[in-house]
Amino acid sequence: MKLSDIMSSMGLATYAEISLLIFFAVFMGVVFHVYKKGSQETFDRAGRMPLDDDHPQDPRDVKENA
Amino acid sequence: MLSGAPMTSAVEKFRYDDDIVRKFMVMTLVWGVVGTLAGLYVALILVMPSLSFGLPFLTFGRLRPLHTNAAIFAFAGNAVFAAVYYSSQRLLKARMFNDMLSRLHFWGWQLIIVAAAVTLPLGITSGKEYAELEWPIDIAIAVVWVIFAVNFFGTLAKRRERHIYVAVWFYIATIITVAILHIVNSLAIPATLTRSYSIYAGVQDAFVQWWYGHNAVAFFLTTPFLGLMYYFMPKAANRPVFSYRLSILHFWSLVFIYIWAGPHHLHYTALPEWASTLGMLFSVMLWMPSWGGMINGLMTLRGAWNKVAEEPVLKFFVVGVTFYGMSTFEGPMLSVKSVNALSHYTDWTIAHVHSGALGWNGMMTFGLAYWLAPKLFQTELWNKKLANLHFWLGTLGILLYIVPIYAAGVTQGLMWRAFDETGRLAYPDFVETLVRLIPMYWVRVAGGTLFVVGAVLALVNIIMTWKARPAKYEDPEHEAPALGEYTVAEPKPTGSILAYIARADFHRAWERKVLKFSVLVGLSVIVASLFEMIPTFLIRSNVPTISSVTPYTPLELAGRDIYLGEGCYNCHSQMVRPIRAETERYGEYSKPGEFVYDHPYQWGSRRIGPDLHRVGGKYPHLWHVRHMEDPRSTTPQSLMPTYAWLLKEDTDFAGIQKRVDVMAMLGVPYGDAVNKAEGMAREQAKQIAAEIQTQGGPAGLESKKIVALVAYLQRLGTDIKKQPQDSSATRQAQKSESPVMPPPGAALGAVK
Repeated sequence: MKLSDIMSSMGLATYAEISLLIFFAVFMGVVFHVYKKGSQETFDRAGRMPLDDDHPQDPRDVKENA
Repeated sequence: MLSGAPMTSAVEKFRYDDDIVRKFMVMTLVWGVVGTLAGLYVALILVMPSLSFGLPFLTFGRLRPLHTNAAIFAFAGNAVFAAVYYSSQRLLKARMFNDMLSRLHFWGWQLIIVAAAVTLPLGITSGKEYAELEWPIDIAIAVVWVIFAVNFFGTLAKRRERHIYVAVWFYIATIITVAILHIVNSLAIPATLTRSYSIYAGVQDAFVQWWYGHNAVAFFLTTPFLGLMYYFMPKAANRPVFSYRLSILHFWSLVFIYIWAGPHHLHYTALPEWASTLGMLFSVMLWMPSWGGMINGLMTLRGAWNKVAEEPVLKFFVVGVTFYGMSTFEGPMLSVKSVNALSHYTDWTIAHVHSGALGWNGMMTFGLAYWLAPKLFQTELWNKKLANLHFWLGTLGILLYIVPIYAAGVTQGLMWRAFDETGRLAYPDFVETLVRLIPMYWVRVAGGTLFVVGAVLALVNIIMTWKARPAKYEDPEHEAPALGEYTVAEPKPTGSILAYIARADFHRAWERKVLKFSVLVGLSVIVASLFEMIPTFLIRSNVPTISSVTPYTPLELAGRDIYLGEGCYNCHSQMVRPIRAETERYGEYSKPGEFVYDHPYQWGSRRIGPDLHRVGGKYPHLWHVRHMEDPRSTTPQSLMPTYAWLLKEDTDFAGIQKRVDVMAMLGVPYGDAVNKAEGMAREQAKQIAAEIQTQGGPAGLESKKIVALVAYLQRLGTDIKKQPQDSSATRQAQKSESPVMPPPGAALGAVK
């Protein structure tokens, strides 16, 4: 019996459908997260990052009050 | 806002490495001229085949891959690297990890491009569209890519900015995904230094190839350019991106959806109808984030539109981003089955690709070059008026290119499917549908010329700016606190799981953890790809075997090598779709089981000439000989280049054995032929040469390449007409489909 015979009998086709649903769910999760309230300030700070070549906007050792 | 923040660790000093950016930027413009010139030349030889001068290395089939490779991997590739090296250092507040790796990356990549420019005109190709380079160059690409990855991730590891800006996410996705795509698609077994055979065959090879092709557009031509947009547009407009939220959504939707989006990857596979429909839904969903991205880019210019009028850089960006919107609207539309039935194999695809490549990649790259030049060479741009002129030439050039080519695509598509009132094809002669396009092809030449002139102006402008550079570049020192431990507590799952998800600190935590973030991106791409591929690969019923389909004879295999090397697939498909207009024109539609020995597959993506899958037995041998010697002698209006050298050059009989061996290694059941390939090939060649002679053709052709090619062409698509032989030659004869019964979901047109 070859590997492809074993794989054929495993009914893998359903997995593609399940994974589509998983991907859909994760994507909706990201949408939900991004548009939840209360993080405007963080996003604003991140958005300013390209504008300053000299100073970090978010240095790694600064305490965060979030 | 940060200068006042408490600094707990020592301040480090560092300098940015702009020398590497200068190198990549200059080469971007050099390859831009080369790539577009090659494009102009292939556009010209389509309307004036005599411009090939009968020279093998100047034919459309060999030069079109050179044009696409130069445009994608040399021009766009170098632009991406320039942008990544410039912006990543500044976004991460760190010099590149290792200067030596940066240089190795630069010189290695240029060497690969030169190797491509030499081998492709010589006919050294693996015969897979957009992945033509042969195995030694493929290995070099993988090595250079790893060098780039190590350098990039090393820089991320020593960064001095905690949050990773969204542009860098796009770069991470690019680096990981391109590596996966390139390696999986290039898997091949070498027969010689210049010839290898894809480990995949037929339907599976087509599947892998377009999984690669579709996602190469996503992760080589889209994500890095979006990263570029999210960094350089705010820079040029001097204001933050319109919505950072939207940019996050834009990123994840591309990473999660793009791989699933092309319904052309889902149609005709083992997926049931509803999953295919969900795939279509994803594809439609992709419009939203793509357009969100376009709006995000354009809205970044809010309150700065007056600058657009005076600043050529912003003009280039605005047009580039607009074309991004146009192409990402058109792409999903083209993957809708009913649209695809018309557009596939026509110039519509070519117009779509060029609105993306010239409009989006080209304009963004030139905008980038004009913005970077004064910074890199630390002087004013040599001539702003010239840059403005370039902008108008480029924009006009793109429009002059794509509008007639859209028209050409729709015209030819409609002519192919037109029936007269008696129910017969209105244009049964293929060449009728081609000559109708020639005026439009001439307009394309004009549009292309404008675009090339623009690219030359850009190169001149940058060289003159470079000439005005200071004697010594300023190399300012920057300061930032050293790496510190995270002081933010890990988000703990408190309360209900829903509350945790709703708070979603986890995303902000990932954003700071490069490794986790990268693994996540890689995982999402790999998982999606595997779920997409495994069913097609491993479920036997997807590719029903046909008992009468047998391997190519050794001589036919040698002929197939010539077909590959000359790049015939650039103009001829080998895939008759199950559409009445096609079966009327070409014959029985193609079955998946007919391609099981095709390493690699040769379905093609564009019909500048007719489909060849059922050409076997259609004409006498002599017709093919005359046609190759001078296509105009058999088809007066043909645009095909002459292949007269095939009647003069000898077939490499001694090398055939090695090729058959490799095929056998790949599982092609050659049986006895494994040991006597050369003798079999010579015998068949003698027989065909004799037949050519009796048909009134020249004598003494048996050792020539033309005979091998004729052997292959005459075999094409004839197997299903044979009576099934005994089951020793086939596997699972009982399970095989009947050649006349339509298989459930025949994997035709599964490529776009």
